[in-house]
Amino acid sequence: MGRAVAVIGTGQTRHGRRNDVSYPDLVREAVRMALEDAGITPKDIEGVVSGTMPSMMEGISDTHLYFAEALCEVGKPVLKVESCGSTGQSIAHCGFYWVASGMADLVLVVGMEKMFEGDGQATMSTVADPWFLKPFSAGAPGVFTMQAMEWMHRFNIPEDKAHEAAAFISVTHHDSALDNPYAHIKIKIGMDEAKNAPIITYPVRLLDVCPTSDGACAVILASEEMAKKIGRKPAWIRGLGFRGEEFFYGESNKSIWPSATEAAKHAYEQAGIRDPLKELDVAEIYNPFTYQEMIFYECFGFCPRGKAPDYVLEGKFNRTGELPCDPSGGVLCTNPIGASGLIRLAEATLQVTGKAGARQIEGAELALSHAMGGIDQFNGVTIVGAKL
Amino acid sequence: MRKVAITRFAQSAGVESGDNLMDFTYRISKEVLDKAGLKRNEVGCVMIASSDIFHSGLSCANAVDWDGSGAFMIEGTRAEDSMFALIYAAMRILSGHFDTVLVTSIIKGSENPDNDTLTGFFADPFYMRPLGINETTAAAFQMREYMQRFGVSEEQCAKVAVKNLGNALFNPYAHMKKRVTVDDVLNSETVSDPLKALECAPKSEGVASVLLASGDAAERFTDKPVWIKGFGTSMDHFNLGDRDLLNGQLTVAAERAYRMAGIRQPRKEIDLAEICEPYAFQELLWCEKLGFCPDGEGGKLIDSGETQMYRAFPVNPSGGVLAMNPYVSRGLYRVIEAAMQIRGRAGEHQVDKKVRTALAHGTHGFAGQCHSVVILEG
Amino acid sequence: MADEKPKEKPREMKAQVTVPYEMAMGRNWHRFFENLKEERIMGTKCGKCSRVFIPPRSFCPRCFEDNEEWVEIGQEGTIETWCYSNLMFYGQTLKPPFIAVQVHLDGTDVGLQHRIAGFDLSDFEKVRELVKSGGRVRVVWNKEKKGNIFDIDYFELIPE
Ligand SMILES: [Zn+2]
Repeated sequence: MGRAVAVIGTGQTRHGRRNDVSYPDLVREAVRMALEDAGITPKDIEGVVSGTMPSMMEGISDTHLYFAEALCEVGKPVLKVESCGSTGQSIAHCGFYWVASGMADLVLVVGMEKMFEGDGQATMSTVADPWFLKPFSAGAPGVFTMQAMEWMHRFNIPEDKAHEAAAFISVTHHDSALDNPYAHIKIKIGMDEAKNAPIITYPVRLLDVCPTSDGACAVILASEEMAKKIGRKPAWIRGLGFRGEEFFYGESNKSIWPSATEAAKHAYEQAGIRDPLKELDVAEIYNPFTYQEMIFYECFGFCPRGKAPDYVLEGKFNRTGELPCDPSGGVLCTNPIGASGLIRLAEATLQVTGKAGARQIEGAELALSHAMGGIDQFNGVTIVGAKL
Repeated sequence: MRKVAITRFAQSAGVESGDNLMDFTYRISKEVLDKAGLKRNEVGCVMIASSDIFHSGLSCANAVDWDGSGAFMIEGTRAEDSMFALIYAAMRILSGHFDTVLVTSIIKGSENPDNDTLTGFFADPFYMRPLGINETTAAAFQMREYMQRFGVSEEQCAKVAVKNLGNALFNPYAHMKKRVTVDDVLNSETVSDPLKALECAPKSEGVASVLLASGDAAERFTDKPVWIKGFGTSMDHFNLGDRDLLNGQLTVAAERAYRMAGIRQPRKEIDLAEICEPYAFQELLWCEKLGFCPDGEGGKLIDSGETQMYRAFPVNPSGGVLAMNPYVSRGLYRVIEAAMQIRGRAGEHQVDKKVRTALAHGTHGFAGQCHSVVILEG
Repeated sequence: MADEKPKEKPREMKAQVTVPYEMAMGRNWHRFFENLKEERIMGTKCGKCSRVFIPPRSFCPRCFEDNEEWVEIGQEGTIETWCYSNLMFYGQTLKPPFIAVQVHLDGTDVGLQHRIAGFDLSDFEKVRELVKSGGRVRVVWNKEKKGNIFDIDYFELIPE
C-alpha cells in the first residue's frame, strides 16, 4: 500500500531564547542544517510543508508566506498544515503522504515557534471557547493538572507515589538534556529539588513543567528510490496515526485518553508491533508535563493502566532501562511548540540511524515519536525504523 | 496511479448565519455525508481548512472545528487554505492509504473584523506592517503596474465587476449580487487608489464541504463523479519589492496542474474557469497567467465578451470571489462551482455550453504570493 | 553563522495586537444561557446514543445526528477532577488563586468546567483537605444574572 518513505535528513536549531535572530532566520537555521545532513541543495526539494502552533503566539498569520525564502518555497509546490501542539506530527504525516502519493520524491518538512515573542499561556488559553472553557482556564498547567488528578483518582494511585515518579522523570530528563546540544533547559537537579519545587497548579511543580522556547526543526523525507540514490542512512517510516477527541474537555475520559491510545494502535498495526515495550528500542514522547508522560506510557501500551509510576520508579524508561523514553530530554526541557512534535521525529531518526551522539541508545533500530495538541484533544504518532 | 473523484459537495449561502461556528460546520458536513449515504465513522479521513489565527479569534481552530467536521476519533488534520486541504486530501487518496476524505472549509466572515485587518497580519512586523500593507494595498500596487505596463484601462478592470456581480444574481449561494454598470463601478468609493469599492471582494460567511473518493469507491456515492485530473501550487517571494508583480507564480502552479492533467493548450482544452479574483483586475491578469490569452491582453479578453456566462469561454459564472469571499474557503467554492458546471446542475447559472473540463483557482497572500490550480473533468 | 555571538545586545520591538470579534452563540447556547437566568440547567440528549450533553450541543459529535431533545439537569454533581491554580497570565478571566473543577452533573454524561468556591482558598493545604475527586458539589446561583456561565456563581462543596 503506497510507496515507502524515508527520513534522510534532520536539522534543529539551538533552542532557547533566540532573540539573536529574527523568526525567518531561525527557520533558515534548521532548514540549512537538514539540507546539509541529507547532502542535498534547495534546488532538489520538490515540495515544502510547514507549520506552527496556529495561534496568536507571534502575532503573524499564514507564516508560510513570511518564510517563503527561509523555507526554500519560492517556485515550489507548498502546503501548510497545522493542528496545535501536534503540528509537528501533522506536518510529518503530510510529508509522508505527499511522497507516498508519488507526487514528489523529496519533501522538506519544517516546524517552528518563537515563543519568547509572545505570551505563551495567554495564547494557549485562546484555544478554549469564550463561553464555557476559557472563563475557567488556568493555562496549559491547569489542563494537565486536571488530567493528572483524574488519572490518579481513577487508578487509585497514591499521591506520594505519583509525586515521586514525576520527580524521577524530571531528574532523568534534565540529566539527558545535558547530553543534547540543542536542548533549552540544561540544569543538573536532584530528587529533593524536583519534589520540592514551587507548586504551579497542584500537584504539578515547576520542574514538572516544560519551558517556553524559540526553535525550529526541519526534516527531509524521500521516496525509496531517492533515498537509495542519495545514499545516506535513512530512517524508514514504518507506521503513523493521528486521532482527535471532542473539543469540550469533559466529554471524553482523559485518564485513558482514547486519542493517544488509538493513534498509537493504528501506527503499531502498520509497523507490525504487538508488544511495544519489547519491540520498540526508544520512544520520543511529547511530554510537556511529567505526570502526563506517565499517562502516555499507559496509552502506548508500555505498561498496564495505572502502573506507570511503578515502572518509572523501577527505571524501565531510563536511558539504561528496557525502553528508554525521551533520551533527548524531551519537551520537558525544550518546547518550541510548532517544532516540538517534529523534533520528536528528528530525535527518533537520529537514534535509529546511530547519529544521536552522547544521547545515543546503543543499537536502537525501532523508535516511536509522538506529539499532542489542543486541550488534550489530539495525538499523533510516527514510528521509524532502521529497516524498511 | 489511482484516480480521485469529487463525489458529493455542499456549500453555505453567503448570508449571515446565526449558527455558532461548530453548528455551522456540522450542518454542511452532515449535508454531504447524507447525500453520499455515508456514516460519519465510515469516513477514512477528515481534512479541515480554516484560518490559522485571526479569522476565528480562536487559536488552533482545528480544535473547535473538529466536532462539526465529523472528525471524532478518525484520521484527520487541518490545512491553512481550502485548496491546500483539497490537494492534501487528494494526495492521501493517491497514496493508497485512504479511499474517502471529507474536506470541510470553515470561515464565518460575520464574526470577523475587516478583511484587511486580518490580511495585515500576513505582513512582517518590521517593514510592511508599520506601513499598513495588506492584501488590498498590495493589490493596488499590482493594478497600477498592470495598467501602466500593458495599457489595460480602468474601464476594462471595472467590466470584471459588472460581469461577476451580474452573474451572481443567478447564484443562490453568492453573497453580493448586483446589476451594475461600468460607471457605477468607477464611481464607487476609492478604496486604495486605483481600486474602487465595487472592485474589491466583500467579507463573507462560507462553509463548504466536499467528499473525495478513490476511483473504485466513488461509484458508491454518486453516479456523476467529477475527476481531479491535475493540481499544482507555487509560492512567490514574500517582499513585494523582490517580485515582478505581473509575473508571479501562477504560471508555474498552472503548468504543474496542466502537466498532471495532460493539458497542452489550456484555452482550447478547458471549457470553463472559476478564478479567485478578490480584486476585479486580477481576473484579467490571472487569465493571462493561466494561458487563456497572451500577456497584456486580459483587457482585450474581457472586451471580447468571450468570458461572459453564455459565451464560448465562461469565467466565474458563479460571480467569483467578488460576489462571495469567505477567505479560506474561497478556493473550495471555486472547485464546487466548477464541479456543478461539469455535472450540468448549476441551476440558473448553468452555462450554455457543454462543460467537460474546468479549472478552479485559489490564491492567498499579497498580490497573489501563493497560487493553487485544480483541473476537473467529467 | 548561528553560533557566533552577536556583538550588540539583540534589539526587540514592542508590539501589541488587538482584534475585535462578534462571535455567534447559536441557538442552543443562547437557550442554555437564557435558562440559567431562570436558575435552570438544560442539556440536550442524543436520540441515538442517549448521552446528555452540557454544554448543550445541537448535535452529537459521535453519532453525527441532531440532538432534538432538551432535558433539565440536576444542580448537584460529582467532582471528576479539579485544579488549584496559582498561575497568573495575561487575559485570564478568574484571578488566582481559584479552583477549576470538572463536575459531572447528575443526569448528564459529560463533565462541565466551572469553579469551586465559597471558602477561604489562601491556604492550599487546607483546600486539599476539603476538595476531593469523587466529592459532591452543588450549584450556587449568582444573584445578578447576565445570561452567561457566571450565572452559576460557583459550585459549593456538600459536606459528606
Ligand atoms: Zn450520540
